[in-house]
Amino acid sequence: MKRYAYYLSCINESMTKEVDRSIELWQKELGLDFVKLHEGTCCGGSNLDYVSPKHFALVNGRNIALAEKMGLDLVVSCNTCLMTIRSAKKKLDESPELKKEVNDILKKEGLQYKGTSEVRHLLWVLIDDVGLDTIRQKVKVPLKNYRIAPFYGCHILRPSAVLGHDNPVDPSSLDQLIEALGGATIPYKHKNRCCGFHTLLVAEQESLNVAAEALQEAIEAKADFIVTPCPLCHTSLDGYQAKALKNAGIESSIPVFHLSEMVGLALGYSAKQLGIKRHIVG
Amino acid sequence: MTVPTDQHKELKKDVTFRIFRFNPQVDSKPYFDDYTIPVERGITVLRSLNYIKEHIDASISFRAFCQAGICGSCGMRINGLSQLACTTQVWDVLVKSKEPGVIKVEPLRNLPLIKDLIVDMDPLVGKMKHYSNWIESTMPESSMGKKEFLVSEEEFLRYDKATDCILCASCVSECSILRANKEYVSPAVLLKSYRMNADSRDALHEQRLAELVKDHGVWDCTHCYRCQETCVKSIPIMDAIHGIREDAIENRGMKDTSGSKHAEAFMTDIAKKGKLVEATLPIRTNGVIWTLQNLVPMAAKMIMKRRTPPPPPLVKSAKGIKTFREMFKEMTEHVKQDHKSHKK
Repeated sequence: MKRYAYYLSCINESMTKEVDRSIELWQKELGLDFVKLHEGTCCGGSNLDYVSPKHFALVNGRNIALAEKMGLDLVVSCNTCLMTIRSAKKKLDESPELKKEVNDILKKEGLQYKGTSEVRHLLWVLIDDVGLDTIRQKVKVPLKNYRIAPFYGCHILRPSAVLGHDNPVDPSSLDQLIEALGGATIPYKHKNRCCGFHTLLVAEQESLNVAAEALQEAIEAKADFIVTPCPLCHTSLDGYQAKALKNAGIESSIPVFHLSEMVGLALGYSAKQLGIKRHIVG
Repeated sequence: MTVPTDQHKELKKDVTFRIFRFNPQVDSKPYFDDYTIPVERGITVLRSLNYIKEHIDASISFRAFCQAGICGSCGMRINGLSQLACTTQVWDVLVKSKEPGVIKVEPLRNLPLIKDLIVDMDPLVGKMKHYSNWIESTMPESSMGKKEFLVSEEEFLRYDKATDCILCASCVSECSILRANKEYVSPAVLLKSYRMNADSRDALHEQRLAELVKDHGVWDCTHCYRCQETCVKSIPIMDAIHGIREDAIENRGMKDTSGSKHAEAFMTDIAKKGKLVEATLPIRTNGVIWTLQNLVPMAAKMIMKRRTPPPPPLVKSAKGIKTFREMFKEMTEHVKQDHKSHKK
């Protein structure tokens, strides 16, 4: 059993609870033991970094230091949390002064940021640690009847200097996972594009247009569903789907699954167990 | 980074350039023309285009000047990615071609098309003007030419990279928000605005910032990082965009736009609970009326699916919040000290 510190993303604790629930169902089957980091705090959602760069370094230096104290890597299942925490790590690793300033404060809690724990996405752990061959062997219900549109989202790919796991122009990790689970991917130009989530409350029309384009391509390609490794992309593409498509004059719909749900389906769990019924688009 | 393949070992081969064609005065719709030419290893896409224009079809239109990655005029989409034709080697893009041996060449996106690979840069220039992307000197005219305008190295480092921009518009072509709304300021203009605003010799800082925080301005960026990823000069454009936001918050406070209010909510919630209180985020960003008009129909569906975020009292604080709050406050003191010493 491989152990990891598991970062609790705000959105997965409130709107997309099905992500963590579905991971809990199958983690042991794939030899993974995710220890929830209840002391962890919000990463700042790609906003705190410019509101206050120093608080950003403190908050995320602490999030990583909590995992380091346990001697574990930190696993994240939200793209933006991933990018944000990894950005902070890069800043701390590159600046001894900032690291010292953060560590002087972290002492209060008996913590120290050393830079020894990696910050990794759930998708990367599945590919690199569990391995596609093991996943193939564990599949009980191959997704062979499904044509799947893989929507990676931005913050698992870009900036590549911070992320660096996949080629941001033509990523393949999610495609590989889908194939290992027995599914077929469709050629999908929007796979590395944006979902518009981060401006839904600030520039709504623009965000809806961005989401509609991604949905439209998957609908026209007759995909059975879209899958995404990010709960924020899911919220934009599922939660706002009706509004985005209506806005674009498109009368259709397409289900959007979380990565964790797709894995669960292939491992034989039901849509109800995985929380798929909680989605806005049925 | 390109992966060495057998293809790299070859010194010469036939390559097909599938070039976007459209002359609005003649053609009813765009089409592609294929040109197959022998290409030696080490040849750029621009040299190939020149060869095609000189030897096969003189009617193809594209812009190019310096041929050395300096002037920024040959920005185009090569195999789907916006880049400079003069610094892009055929061998490097060939390994990424969807169809073996074929390189697709298209005009930049998000700017009006003039002909073939030429786009109209006027909207971009217009935005540069709108956001006053030049320095207006703070030095009185009477002193000009008599004394030096010194810039500290620390200050220069803040915008050193931003000055590398050659206005090739590759970032403009890749921008997600510009694709959704052509009114959006665009990344190249934000980069240039940041560069001017960070310059201590400039007198337009406040006027420019006031314009940047309006609709279609700096807060509309959706953090997709496509601009930064595609930049032919590897400029961290998102740092510049975040830099403008940081500046706006410091100089204009956090109450003047929905963007800054949205950002403030993260800071406030983390300081208080260590967790984001999502239920009230729309109200705090846009007020009650906007929230009622825009989100109530969706909220009904979300309630039915038990998908609504919990109300503020039910959002549990992170474990160990007391010490966390103390540490957060301590950092606030550090930041205050930093500001004081900066002002000195």
